[in-house]
Amino acid sequence: MTTPVPPPSRTVNRGLFSHIGARLGLPAGIVATLIAGTLVSDRFLTVQNLTNVLINMSIIGIIVVGMTFVFVTRGLADLSVPATVAVGGLLVLGLESSIGTLPAAIVGVLTAAIAGAVNGWLIGYAGLNPVITTLASGTIVLGIAQVFVGGVIVYGDNREAQAFLTGRVFGVVPVIVLIFLAVVIAGHLLLSRTVLGRWSYAVGSNPSATGASAVPVKRVRAFAFLLTGTLAGFSGVLLGITLQTARPGIGTGYEFDAITAVVVGGVSLLGGSGTVLYAFGGLLFVQLLTNIMVLLGVPTEPQGLVKGALIVTAVAIDVALRRRGGRS
Amino acid sequence: MTTAPALHMSGISKSFPGIRALTDVGLRVDAGEVHAIVGENGAGKSTLMKILAGVHQPDAGEIELNGHPAKLADPIEARRRGIGMVYQELNLVPDLTVAENILLGSTPSRWGIVDRRALRSRARAVLDELDARINTDDLVGSLTVSQQQIVEIAKVYASSPAIVVLDEPTSSLSEHETQSLFRIIRRMTTAGIAVIYISHRLREVLDIAQRVTVLRDGRLVETRSTDGISAGEMIRLMVGRDLTDVFPKREVPIGDVVLSVTGLSRTGEFSDVELTVRAGEILGLAGLVGAGRTEVARAIFGLDKRDGGSVSLDGTEIAIRTPRDAVRAGIAYVPEDRKRDGIVPQLSIKDNISLAVLDRVSLSGWVKRGAEQSMAQTKATELTVSPPDIRPRVDTLSGGNQQKVVFAKWLAAAPRVLILDEPTRGVDVGAKADIHTIIGELAAQGTAIIMISSELPEVLAVSDRIVVLHEGRVSAELPRGSSEHDVMHAATGEVSA
Repeated sequence: MTTPVPPPSRTVNRGLFSHIGARLGLPAGIVATLIAGTLVSDRFLTVQNLTNVLINMSIIGIIVVGMTFVFVTRGLADLSVPATVAVGGLLVLGLESSIGTLPAAIVGVLTAAIAGAVNGWLIGYAGLNPVITTLASGTIVLGIAQVFVGGVIVYGDNREAQAFLTGRVFGVVPVIVLIFLAVVIAGHLLLSRTVLGRWSYAVGSNPSATGASAVPVKRVRAFAFLLTGTLAGFSGVLLGITLQTARPGIGTGYEFDAITAVVVGGVSLLGGSGTVLYAFGGLLFVQLLTNIMVLLGVPTEPQGLVKGALIVTAVAIDVALRRRGGRS
Repeated sequence: MTTAPALHMSGISKSFPGIRALTDVGLRVDAGEVHAIVGENGAGKSTLMKILAGVHQPDAGEIELNGHPAKLADPIEARRRGIGMVYQELNLVPDLTVAENILLGSTPSRWGIVDRRALRSRARAVLDELDARINTDDLVGSLTVSQQQIVEIAKVYASSPAIVVLDEPTSSLSEHETQSLFRIIRRMTTAGIAVIYISHRLREVLDIAQRVTVLRDGRLVETRSTDGISAGEMIRLMVGRDLTDVFPKREVPIGDVVLSVTGLSRTGEFSDVELTVRAGEILGLAGLVGAGRTEVARAIFGLDKRDGGSVSLDGTEIAIRTPRDAVRAGIAYVPEDRKRDGIVPQLSIKDNISLAVLDRVSLSGWVKRGAEQSMAQTKATELTVSPPDIRPRVDTLSGGNQQKVVFAKWLAAAPRVLILDEPTRGVDVGAKADIHTIIGELAAQGTAIIMISSELPEVLAVSDRIVVLHEGRVSAELPRGSSEHDVMHAATGEVSA
């Protein structure tokens, strides 16, 4: 085969600034927050405080892993998270006295997984809008959960499980934090190293070409919601055991916090890019910022303002980077 | 009459990166005349009309309207100067009524509130002038395609244009509907409008137009009165070019039938299509735009559902519902629309190449990164993708190299049947030669190839056999060595003399 001289290729110049900005902006922000926190409060840089930050992150962080898949596959967002978290928490506490904590936890996670599978089927296979679908399914699932507990609070009776989760390995790191980190690493490997992960990026970037490349697009889309439902249920189980009390409203606001973390982590709402580790970084950044505000005694309302501003900034940066990258 | 023509374009030239679309083209259309423009795909008809519509700016040349020089800087300016365009794809809002669509943009209102009575009566007046029997209150979405087309024409007519361009207006109309469209066109010319009529249907051109301008390879061939010309002569003028040996054909032994398609149908697109391809054979699929070539390819590959027919590989019928089924059976498809169906922009060159065969370089769901890297690198090198580094995002490459990446993806799948849909469209000359070399190489290895191309010389030079589609049906099967004449006759539905 003769090899003609290859024609010159055109390389889109993305600009050094945007390239470095996209990669290092978040780590730099986290370091800056750590420095700022140390400067403004002497209680900030202590093992006790930072461990608290990690514990607070753990429950929401497990959901963030699932939400990252939803974003990457261009599934917009899963708004049924509060309901699936509640299902996990209510079922583990409600059933543990009759079948034991571990079986109850499994039932809780599986039930949430079923809700996630239904979401995935409606969105991936039936092609419904994700926002509307998860809003509706969340309302339905929460309604069923309320009927199950009769609308009141469920209390747990397994102090041992609680002690295990909040107990510390080597006297420093709480077990729940280790579980969270394990989920992050597993999620990261799933997205970055497996066939399914690669397909997720492809589906989010150009579903049409991906389908034409023999990838089961519908299955990939559905999986993101199945995963998020399952992880939210798992997160709810951990929350229930930790608190030893659960009510139907237990997961309220978790969807918002997860979306904030993913967006701040630079995962594109338009699909096709972002990593679990960056979403984790986004969560860490938001949590550290919140922690500093709490230490400084900032009231809850302005905290919300700051989080909202963060989302807008992160989305604006994403759009600006896309334009610069020459994408449409 | 010695009045200035409604439109006088002269010396129009236009180039796009890598392509010279128009060279020194002139066009003169009088008021009250129907003037047809004919030519092969890519002859420059659309570009010329887009210049008239203000979409493109000519590199050289002048446009005069009614004897006055005009600069058509953008589509809004062109519309203001009285140029009305009716494109093949209709620009209507299906959820609005006929009246609302006709007067969209100039909706009569009082204090910002739509004046429904004025809206209705003005739309009615426009439709009556065109002698069109359509209810003004019907939703456009509920109308037939031909009625929608008439609404589109009425919408253009309502802006009182001096010149109306109709681009392939009859491509989806029946004989009867075409006649009522012609009635409307004649009404417009009686009102003094100059009508430019673009069509592949030469009989209709003879029927409706007074003069016809033939374009070929971006140049003006001739403008003739339709009185003294036959369809056959028009074809001769459209084609009339020597076939230069720009696409060297590699002779390879042809084996057994690999793929056979029988009775393939899809409502509204194509029906009862039969084809076979043998190992090592290149089957050309020719036809005009809209004849159903791409649709047939997409249906074979499982991208679109088919309503009937069967696909067999090595004589055994196979069920193809999705591209996944097709790839498993050994069929690959290089799509016509590279941006939409070909590349995944945010993934790297490597990830694009391995996308269709990830499961072949993975172990229980885990991508074996070394195996993937070396497989993708091998394919990229084989296809001379430039630059050779496969880590950057695929959308940093030029169009020709992106196309090579799409080829690489399908070569990695080692298909037995490869369907190529406009494989060299929008690709520079160097990459084009490379792609032809690859196609020859694949045929030599025994791959059965179906190639769709709107470039007739390319089809003729490369194919061992040509199947011609006309309006969704196979109109001819021609052996190697057939002329452009033969293909164009079959493609336009004119029986060969």
